Amino acid sequence: MFFPKEMTEVELIIPSKDIVAVAKVLSGHGVFHQVDSTYLGLENLGPSAWQDKASSYSALERRIQTIMQTLGVEEEYPTKADAESMVELDAITPSVNRIDEEVRGISEQLSNEKKRLELFESQLRQLEPIADVKVEVGALNKSSYLHSILGVVPASNISRLKTSIGRVPHVFFTLREDSQKPVVWVLGPKSNADVLDRAAKSAYLNPLSLPEEFAGTPEEITNTLKREIEVTKKKIVNLETSILAVADKNKSELQKLLWDTHVSRVMADAIVRFGQLRHTYVVVGWVPTASLESLTTKLKNASKEVLIETTSITRSGHHDNVPVALTDNKWLRPFKDLITTYGRPSYGELDPTILLAFSFPLLYGAMFGDIGQGLVMMLGGFLAHNRIALKALQSIGLLFVYCGISVTFFGFMYGSIFGFEGHYVHDYLGFDLHPVWLSPIHGENILSVLRVAIDVGIVILFLSYLLSFFNNIRVKDWSHLIFGHTGVVAFLFFVCFLSILGGFLGSTPIAPQIAVAISKLPLPFNILTPVFALGLMFNGLFRNITEGHKPYIEGNIAMFLVQSFMDLFEGVISMLSNTLSFVRVGAFAVAHGGLSLAIFALAGEEADLGFWITIALGNIFIIGFEGLIVYIQTMRLHYYEILGKFFHGGGMRFEPLKLKPSQEEA
Amino acid sequence: MASGVSGYAAISTRVRAMYSDLLSPQDMTRLSESPDFASLVGALKSTPYGKYLSGLKDNELTPRRVIHAIKSRLADSYSSVVQQAPEQTRPLVKQLYRYFELGNLKAVLRSIQTVSAWNPEVQTWDRVREILFPFGSFSTIPAQAMVESGNVGSAVDLLRGTPYESTMSFAMKRFSAEQNLFPLEVALDLDYWRKLWAEAKKLSGKDREMGTKIIGSLLDMNNLMWVIRYKVYHKLSEEELINYTLPFGYRVRDEDVRAIAAGSDIAAVVSRIYPNIPDVNALLDNPTVGLPKLEHALKQQVVKTCVNAFIGDPFHIGIPLAYLLLSDFEVQDLIVLIEAKSTNMADEDYRPLLLKTVVV
Repeated sequence: MFFPKEMTEVELIIPSKDIVAVAKVLSGHGVFHQVDSTYLGLENLGPSAWQDKASSYSALERRIQTIMQTLGVEEEYPTKADAESMVELDAITPSVNRIDEEVRGISEQLSNEKKRLELFESQLRQLEPIADVKVEVGALNKSSYLHSILGVVPASNISRLKTSIGRVPHVFFTLREDSQKPVVWVLGPKSNADVLDRAAKSAYLNPLSLPEEFAGTPEEITNTLKREIEVTKKKIVNLETSILAVADKNKSELQKLLWDTHVSRVMADAIVRFGQLRHTYVVVGWVPTASLESLTTKLKNASKEVLIETTSITRSGHHDNVPVALTDNKWLRPFKDLITTYGRPSYGELDPTILLAFSFPLLYGAMFGDIGQGLVMMLGGFLAHNRIALKALQSIGLLFVYCGISVTFFGFMYGSIFGFEGHYVHDYLGFDLHPVWLSPIHGENILSVLRVAIDVGIVILFLSYLLSFFNNIRVKDWSHLIFGHTGVVAFLFFVCFLSILGGFLGSTPIAPQIAVAISKLPLPFNILTPVFALGLMFNGLFRNITEGHKPYIEGNIAMFLVQSFMDLFEGVISMLSNTLSFVRVGAFAVAHGGLSLAIFALAGEEADLGFWITIALGNIFIIGFEGLIVYIQTMRLHYYEILGKFFHGGGMRFEPLKLKPSQEEA
Repeated sequence: MASGVSGYAAISTRVRAMYSDLLSPQDMTRLSESPDFASLVGALKSTPYGKYLSGLKDNELTPRRVIHAIKSRLADSYSSVVQQAPEQTRPLVKQLYRYFELGNLKAVLRSIQTVSAWNPEVQTWDRVREILFPFGSFSTIPAQAMVESGNVGSAVDLLRGTPYESTMSFAMKRFSAEQNLFPLEVALDLDYWRKLWAEAKKLSGKDREMGTKIIGSLLDMNNLMWVIRYKVYHKLSEEELINYTLPFGYRVRDEDVRAIAAGSDIAAVVSRIYPNIPDVNALLDNPTVGLPKLEHALKQQVVKTCVNAFIGDPFHIGIPLAYLLLSDFEVQDLIVLIEAKSTNMADEDYRPLLLKTVVV
């Protein structure tokens, strides 16, 4: 639970005759992360026949998917992952061909009718400007002696167009007067066609093309087109009904064909990555140690002669090549998603999901404490998680529930319900609600809340340093344990830094109590501080020395000193900003109260309908707007101030062979 | 509606004050004597353009940026005149100002067409922004979105709702067929000048008289240069020349344009319209060298018309229009100087291109 699952490396030697059975076991259980082992095979055996098979299965799968898409049949896989054996291509291809032919005939007709409809509609649009013209303009296109141009021209160009063709005999009609798109018709002798065309083009006349298959005046053609459109639409409806009938008839068969092809394709893909020897195959991969025994049993049942060699990998040390399978607890899924968004833990690294499951709701609730709003958030989260409402938020529904619980808890601590606090609760809601701890908005409490927020931050930062030590010890990275940016020396300097901060702030109300307590410890901080400062300043040098990296100092000494000083400077600034960053937790608790007060100021004092509507809308606004901001702030605190201290990530995702795309990682 | 003395009292005073801030021939001489680009920028800093250059750091002083800064003064002049012009004349001034938006639109379309030839390391918009006129809030075109759209079709789609939508919808059919910006640019030009002329014609009294005189002079120059260029360089047919030009103007009449389109002697037509332009025949003998000189001579005709507008009755739109055109010509002169100095051009090569007389 605190670490990624322990993994075992598995190497299999399989007799050629059993590879399909073994591939079925490996693919069917979703626990085997395959490593490409073709490099272990013999090169002189030539290209594997499985490569072609895998391509053929893949093509057939795509073809079935296309047919299903055309028919509108959903891709559903059997509920139970019953991995049948690999099916022969020859056995399923005829069925696919039969359905494909049946579908293709109708879908081609449908596609042609749709194109026809599109063409008719486009022609109708073109005729729109001259739909009421009763002259048979199309017939003149076939004239031997006359050149005819019909089109739309910018109104401002008409007079110039007339002038430009003044030197050749012509007739000019304005068929439709329109300030935007007048329609004109120019007629002239065929011998002057080039002049007329050039003039029309240079006047930006856009010709209208009349459908050649229809004769008559534009009005008649328009009517014919409208009739054709109706007929085509009916044909389309009929063809779509036929498609539905074909879909109904073939649905189950198509789903079975898809499943069979999919299973065969997954197995063939897996076999392609086996290393081929003369009479055997080599398979290498990773299995969670907890699943090793059951997988081994199944493999031995599938092949009596399979040789299985396993190597258990301990979590200490660096293991970049080991895939990382995180514990899949559905109640922790939202926190796991937050972690994997930041980075996937490496194999030996602590999985901070549990830590986040406590700290995230805690900080969120502390910034947003309100009983009523917390309950609404819980309800919203519950509805979203169970896909009853707010379906788009399903993935974070559970996170809302947890945060809602925390918000409700802090609501009791702060004595706030739907923004009502103190005497407002009694005056408007008719009962008494006293803060268990304090109300952040009241003058004397504001500084206390900010101070406590910094103290909580210091505790969280201490914890983060300790977790960093723990991770470094586990991977036996001693130099980083001592001289790393979050190592022992940096931690001790942080303690010295807090002692200075505590001494400096002294008895001011904002002074964090932990820092003040540290400053009072009977330790020689005036000596320790420069010592650890030097340690922090030259941590790169010390790391190089302990790890034996030469040269110890890169570049010239002056540059090294400047760089080291800047490292120290940056370290101090980071410590200060990291510590003060947690002030935001208190500040948002205060801001939350302030925002509620603003809503009350808008609502007035009279408890009439307007008052309650304003309060309701204000609460919706606070939950939506402030809820989002606090969510972002909580994430920021975790990603920058907490996880950044001890969590490196970079682990390789555990991607087991699996038959169903929906099957999650183990 | 304010007109006459009451309408022009404030703007007339303001424009005359701004007019006195235009560079004198002595200033131009001093600037042209700068030995190089850096000295020229230094000298410009002591002119009214100085405050527009003060925002540029020394390492940002490229010719393009300096030109951009200088144009900002012209933009300010236009904004000032647009705001103070009497209400009935404001559409005309605004339409005149749109000339720079038209230039921006053309530059954007050209940049999209030629973007592949540019240095891919420089962001396209950053490159284009520097060459656009600083039109500010007056602009109606989404220049950045157009550049980033990556193709002319999508860019033109973004002009929906702007004054250019209708013109572009007709012209785009030709662009799609020819993949050439020429029909788009011609359509935009014609539309711009038609609208400008229509706005001038809407005025009445002295405003109309001076507005059509000044706008008409500018239009004459453009119309005449179009028909000559299209005929000489593009070898367009008579009907195309007629459709690509305008049938109105101040001194250039439709008959003149049609005569050139029909093949009449260009020099004879030009000399008839502008008898004071010398050696037109000689200029047209070698169009490559001669046409820029003819255009320069025509510009000087416009400058003369503008300068004359300041003589006599000061209460009409002619004075603000004349000032704006003179400012524009001054900026054009400065651009010539900046480009000449940044490319180390010889004095005798660029001085004939300056409109404001340089005392040698």
